[in-house]
Amino acid sequence: MTDPMAIVARDLQFTYAGRLRPAFRDVSFVVEPGECLLVVGPSGSGKSTLALALAGLVPYDIPGEFSGDLELDGSGVTATSPRSGASRVGIVFQDPGSQLVMDRVEDDVAFGLESLGWTLEAMRERVPQILEASGLGGHGRRRPTRLSGGEQQRLALAGVLAPRPGLLVLDEPTSNLDPVAAAGVFERLERIRAERSHTVVLVEHRVERAWPLADRVLALGRDGSPIDVGAPTEVLARSGTAMAAAGIWLPARVPGGSSRPATAEPLDRGPDSPGDEPGAPIVRAHGLRFGYERSRTAEPAIRGIDLEFRAGDRVALVGSNGSGKSTLARLLVGLLRPDRGWVRLGNQDPSRLPAARLSRVAGYVFQEPERQFLATRVDQEIALGLTLGEKSSAIQLMDRLGLPLETFADRSPYQLSGGEQRRLSLACALVRDPAFLVLDEPTFGQDRLGYESLLEILHDRVGDGACVLAATHDERLVEDFAGRRIALEDGWVITDERVGVPSSTDRLPDQPDSAALVGPS
Amino acid sequence: MMVRVDPTDDQLASPLGRVSPLLKLAIAGAWFVGLFLTTEILPALALAGIAVGASLVLGYVPAGTLGRGLAPLWIAALAVGLFNGLFSPLNSDPALHELAIIGPFRLTEPGVIAGVGLASRVLAIAAIGVLFAQTTDATRLVDSLVQQGRVPERFGYGALAAYQAVPRFAEDLSTLRQARRIRGLRSSWHPRLLVGLLVLAIRHADRLALAMDARGFGTGPRSRYRPMHWGLIDLGAGAGAAVVLAIVVVLPRVT
Repeated sequence: MTDPMAIVARDLQFTYAGRLRPAFRDVSFVVEPGECLLVVGPSGSGKSTLALALAGLVPYDIPGEFSGDLELDGSGVTATSPRSGASRVGIVFQDPGSQLVMDRVEDDVAFGLESLGWTLEAMRERVPQILEASGLGGHGRRRPTRLSGGEQQRLALAGVLAPRPGLLVLDEPTSNLDPVAAAGVFERLERIRAERSHTVVLVEHRVERAWPLADRVLALGRDGSPIDVGAPTEVLARSGTAMAAAGIWLPARVPGGSSRPATAEPLDRGPDSPGDEPGAPIVRAHGLRFGYERSRTAEPAIRGIDLEFRAGDRVALVGSNGSGKSTLARLLVGLLRPDRGWVRLGNQDPSRLPAARLSRVAGYVFQEPERQFLATRVDQEIALGLTLGEKSSAIQLMDRLGLPLETFADRSPYQLSGGEQRRLSLACALVRDPAFLVLDEPTFGQDRLGYESLLEILHDRVGDGACVLAATHDERLVEDFAGRRIALEDGWVITDERVGVPSSTDRLPDQPDSAALVGPS
Repeated sequence: MMVRVDPTDDQLASPLGRVSPLLKLAIAGAWFVGLFLTTEILPALALAGIAVGASLVLGYVPAGTLGRGLAPLWIAALAVGLFNGLFSPLNSDPALHELAIIGPFRLTEPGVIAGVGLASRVLAIAAIGVLFAQTTDATRLVDSLVQQGRVPERFGYGALAAYQAVPRFAEDLSTLRQARRIRGLRSSWHPRLLVGLLVLAIRHADRLALAMDARGFGTGPRSRYRPMHWGLIDLGAGAGAAVVLAIVVVLPRVT
């Protein structure tokens, strides 16, 4: 068993091969054995790269230039091969699907132990034990691909914890998970923290759950240099304002922490506020039914849905994973064709519209930005299929979303940070001004500036008469944006209700600084 | 929709499930070679029958599962046989014995025999393939290849991880096509889709390699969570398979 280890970092800096600007720089901190260090920062501030460096994967597996001293339990990581560190440091990544190797749950847990040469007897004792501790007891023979996202992430964590690493690094482990699944991962982390069995470095946007875990906080700024490091309360007191200005989510109990005004006085109500004249119908759906599998016995994903959306509607589509949100969203914009029932967008069936026409009336932002990129450069990606007029508005839009083309034009969409990728995919959908805009989990992994500029743009679109529908797990987005909340369960609409709407003009009275940063409103 | 073969625990615990996957591969290979060396119909049908029987009796494969696995392949086999029987160049040889004339088709005895022979071999190959797939776990196959077949670890476990990602690629493809459509581009097959798929596949592989390295893969000699040993059951299976092959394929040629 490796004891929890101390980390001493001095002036760490890393620059990816082929880039001029370092991903992070001047990073110094100390973590005592068994403590938890929370790393926060806006997207693109080098948090993930720092996590890789602590795990010994930068610069050995990723080309670039590394400098500074990193000591784990007094021995320099940079001096030795990172591979020897594998028994001492474990890392869990964002996407559970790309860290599972073996075809059975218990084999996957054993994979790391085999690599480190554990004996068979030791593995047979350890594997069930760590599965039990991770809430996966009795699931050893199941296939990882059949587990839910939350179970997969707890399995990834179990596999990393199995060799009892002295340091556990987690890179946004819950950002691809729905709230229930994320809560399961956090419960596990809270137990680890309580036992003090591992030193933990946690990179996380979900501050409500993450802050209480932290013994120390490292806040990185947009340029990858630290804003502050220290005990959570001290850091907040000293640098809360600077962190808020950099777009970092802060816990709500802290003054200036919440992005939502404490006293929201609806001033200029949106066009869909209760009592206002409803806008013209944009989308109607009747008797929708859809199943991914053609066989008669297969369960349909959507079982019979009637809906109508009007100009100015701000709709939040909520429901657990697998409730049919993404399927319904894709049916409504004609990316899927219903088995039964119909959709009318304007007066037409969107699934039969030619692509060129469809793209002018409907926009869709997919949940995983990477899977929708079609070009190899940012400027080509945004310009794909656009007219000249639209191209010039694209330039403004990219500025507004914090992706100015002067800086980002020749970057590869795949090499942007998670938050930047999401904003690029949003820009691609917004640039044609579609009357019906659908977004699948638009706030996953967004820092606060990204979130606020998203919110502002969506309010603007609605103000211009569009209907915006967001399929989301993010209760904050529902509260900040939605005028109508539709809940799905098992392919049925279970509630469809009007909800309170803060409108675009009464935002953020307590945070004029951050409002100014997201651009003219 | 991609269909993954998912043998149940029962099937994997059956006598055939416990035979070394490497040995099963070797047997399947030997039987395939045997099939190519014979043009006779009976040996091929006999091998197909033995494979089906072994799946049911020694592999504990439920008849329904076996039927669903075999049906599409056997329909293909019949189509291959029919096509070759009808369009065989032998049919236009006036010297050959004529069986029947159906519309524009003239059927000769050698032509029909060639067609049936081909169909029966495809039947046998399908049956052997399904037998292998229904009694073999992917993890065990890789363990066996690495431990008994001396396949390099990086290749073996990499292939296993890639196999796990197959359903993911199907999803990637449909998402990319939808992304093209909503951006006003034709969503039908376009070479650009392949580039996108390739990028996603490489990125997925990169991440996976990083995760594997982070878990100490390749740092030193690996221990084995599921050690594979040659056993009596392998001896039995090997001997049985050799006898079947000899009786079915070799004997008719000698006599």
